[in-house]
Amino acid sequence: MTNTVKEERIKKQFTQAQLAEMIGVSRQTIFSIEVNKYVPSVVLSLKLAKAFGKKVEDIFTLQGSD
Amino acid sequence: MKFFLSHRYKKIGVMLAPLGFCLWLVMQLGYIKRLLIYIFGQINGSYEWSVYHIVNVVAAVLGFFSFLIGLYFISFSKEKIEDEMVQKTRLDSFQFAAILQIITIIIGFLFIMFAGDLGESRMMLFFIVLVFLFWLSFIGRFNYMLHVKYISNDKYCKRRKDKEAVYSSSIS
Repeated sequence: MTNTVKEERIKKQFTQAQLAEMIGVSRQTIFSIEVNKYVPSVVLSLKLAKAFGKKVEDIFTLQGSD
Repeated sequence: MKFFLSHRYKKIGVMLAPLGFCLWLVMQLGYIKRLLIYIFGQINGSYEWSVYHIVNVVAAVLGFFSFLIGLYFISFSKEKIEDEMVQKTRLDSFQFAAILQIITIIIGFLFIMFAGDLGESRMMLFFIVLVFLFWLSFIGRFNYMLHVKYISNDKYCKRRKDKEAVYSSSIS
């Protein structure tokens, strides 16, 4: 699964720390999601989508191997 | 999650566990007994009933339980920010430790089957090692994943103290 969390965050001019604080996780978690080291749960994905004002499927995309 | 301790217990555990282990090791190697003999002189009568023996046993029990409690504090204390990634990493690490312990048990019993009886003291040592292997592998993997692997490419982490640098570089 790929995501556009980093692109959306930069568009919104949030730092990783700010975004982490908004959705109640650590900054390391945001970093891990951005570099695809960690796949977030549905709840966290919805929180991220809400923070960016977008739909979940606009941020997270399935790949052929998924 | 209710039985998890607050984050400050982790620091206490980090100090307590090595101290306890060192005390236990010093006792096992006989240094406490040697030190007591050096300070107070040789024992009159049976060693088993002497104060030296009691001091040795107290040091062993104190060291062993300090080590165990230290490991418990490290294992069951929350991280500074407890989120789902931390919880998943903790669960994965428990799984890793359990699998490692099962493999060790299988290898151990195969060794006993083919090599013969190890004797009571070696068997006891094997079981103690099994218990510690579980907790140490859990603590090792959990902290490695959380504090090394997940953030290994995180350039911002190297400059964590410089908040301004973090801000400017992350939005540029």
